[in-house]
Amino acid sequence: MLALRLTRAARPAVQLRRLLVAAASAGTGLLLLSSLGHALAHPEAADAAALRLAWCAAPLAATVYLALAVARTDPGTRPRPGLSAVGLGPARLMAVSALTTALSCSLGSLLALLIFLHLRGDLTGLPFDGAAAGLLAAGLPLPVPAAATLLTVLPVTATAAVAVALRPRDPRPPVRVPRRFGRFGAAGGSAGKETFGAYGRFGTRLPQAPGDGRTDAPGDRRTATTALLETEGDPPAPENAPEPPAPDTDADSPAGLPWGVALVTAGLAAQAYAGRSAPVPVLTVLLGWLLTGTGLVLAGPGLTHLCGRLLQAGRPGALRLLAGRGLMAEAARIGRPLGVVCAVASAGCALTALSGGPAPAFGPLSALGALVVGGATLATLLTAAVEARQYRAGHTAALLRLGARPTLLRGAAALRAAVLPALFGPLVLAIAALSALPLSR
Amino acid sequence: MEAPPDNDVLWARSLHFTHRDGSPGLAGISLGVRQGEILAVSGPRGSGKTTLLRCLSGLLPVRSGEVWFNSSPLHTLGPTARERLRRERFAWIDPEPVLVPELNVWENAALPLMLRGAGRRRAKVCALEWLERLDVGDRARCRPRALRHAERQRVAIARALAPGPEILFADEPTAPLHHADRTHVLRTLTTAARSHGITVVLATHDPDTTALADRTVALLDGRRVHTVHLPDVPDAEGRAACSLSV
Repeated sequence: MLALRLTRAARPAVQLRRLLVAAASAGTGLLLLSSLGHALAHPEAADAAALRLAWCAAPLAATVYLALAVARTDPGTRPRPGLSAVGLGPARLMAVSALTTALSCSLGSLLALLIFLHLRGDLTGLPFDGAAAGLLAAGLPLPVPAAATLLTVLPVTATAAVAVALRPRDPRPPVRVPRRFGRFGAAGGSAGKETFGAYGRFGTRLPQAPGDGRTDAPGDRRTATTALLETEGDPPAPENAPEPPAPDTDADSPAGLPWGVALVTAGLAAQAYAGRSAPVPVLTVLLGWLLTGTGLVLAGPGLTHLCGRLLQAGRPGALRLLAGRGLMAEAARIGRPLGVVCAVASAGCALTALSGGPAPAFGPLSALGALVVGGATLATLLTAAVEARQYRAGHTAALLRLGARPTLLRGAAALRAAVLPALFGPLVLAIAALSALPLSR
Repeated sequence: MEAPPDNDVLWARSLHFTHRDGSPGLAGISLGVRQGEILAVSGPRGSGKTTLLRCLSGLLPVRSGEVWFNSSPLHTLGPTARERLRRERFAWIDPEPVLVPELNVWENAALPLMLRGAGRRRAKVCALEWLERLDVGDRARCRPRALRHAERQRVAIARALAPGPEILFADEPTAPLHHADRTHVLRTLTTAARSHGITVVLATHDPDTTALADRTVALLDGRRVHTVHLPDVPDAEGRAACSLSV
């Protein structure tokens, strides 16, 4: 009930995202049911039906990915002080979010069933003069358990994925340094190495600053040092001064870029190898596609990070600095859906190039599948952008309090949005051309 | 009402404010802030300190009452002009040090200067100077998340002081800190403000903090009070006599 209540009270943008999930789920359900129809119409060609069913994995994966992104963005299922005050913590909110996802996916599946039955003519005569009759096995009775199984695949998968992704986790514990023992096994080591006779050397036992008995953390020690400076004017012993920490500008750069590049090249090589023999081995081509797509997905965060780095290179002003660093910080969040979009787009480009023209050979079902995959991945990318924006709302408000112009912030966002296609567009076209090249010869 | 003296850089007259949900914020506050002084706005939680600072700094639009800055009205300005004023003349310190996480420390401190259109080199030099003064100079190339809370707060203070504002609004800058850090942060803030002639409006509920200020304005329930007699012991008798409810 609570899930329904929270679902109903959401804002229109959130409802629109859930409707997108429902639409994608309807498309996927329709594809699954049409493969069932094909199997009913041609009971002798079992392998062709299995192939059709296997092709449905792509829209299924895209839809589950979209549902996951939408659930992560959902403001209604985020830990909220108002709900945690009544004992509704992250675990229950995960359940609520999974339930919401199940709801929208089931809605889509129900819609798919209705459309399927309508197209088969089970509800009201055959529409479109029976154009879809051969495709969907109009005359034959529909096996209800098979249809129900196919239709529950998507909601169950999406709900499980959401539940796993949003399961409550404690923040990762800090890296424990192995315990070091001081002299004679005493607990805790001294800050610097204490050589023999250092204890009694002149100047090491100067009176400490008041109220500073425990000087464990380096920051504490520095505060004590400066307090000593202020109160007494004595220079501190040089071994007491903490080392300046190393700058960690590269700490958060994603590590997947080399692996991604390697996988993309391996995939392209596999396709080139497959294109050498006269009857093209389908399995090798598929493996090549899979490797290329995985490589693009892996390389996405790294490439986004690279984009941000290039954007803030040189001597950046406030605009380029905010845009570039924002992109670098959001590389993991934005880059992965962007890599998926790139993989889908390059596959689409290559298929269009291979079929020779603006896709005349695609049937209605292939078009629907392409639409579902492309739309779902694009919607996932936009949802990830919304998630990044929600995450940065606090910092944006702080910048506005500083007096930053809203036009400046909007300009930074526009710059970010403009520089990504500038890098990824040529990349997609190049990969599509390279993968289509050996097969088109 | 007394005429404001000439050296008042900011003053408010019968400032009323009601929050959007109808809860009362300020109920007729009049005060003047002199040039170069450190004015503490004290009072318990919920007494309207933050709201007063937001109204004075132009973050919230003033509907009833007047706010004057350097003999020019602030309450008649539109949001764009108030934002420019905030960028060029004012500085603001939050209770939590909200730094931009993807910029490193000196870039954070130099950001207001860059927003004003200063060159990168000048902004960097100025920011590094202020970071040195506030004892976080050796952390200038770290990300904010690598710093401790007190250090982040000092970076936020450096960010506020670096562009040389005329008025610095500090909203409980030491609230989440321990006592030693609190003293350090406050001492650096007040020393820097005094040596550079920056006017500071400091909201605090801590009596130790108000001792560092030149003047103290006490607030209670959105009103300015001169003597606060809060019953600090649960003493049933005499409570009615000390009651401030009007």
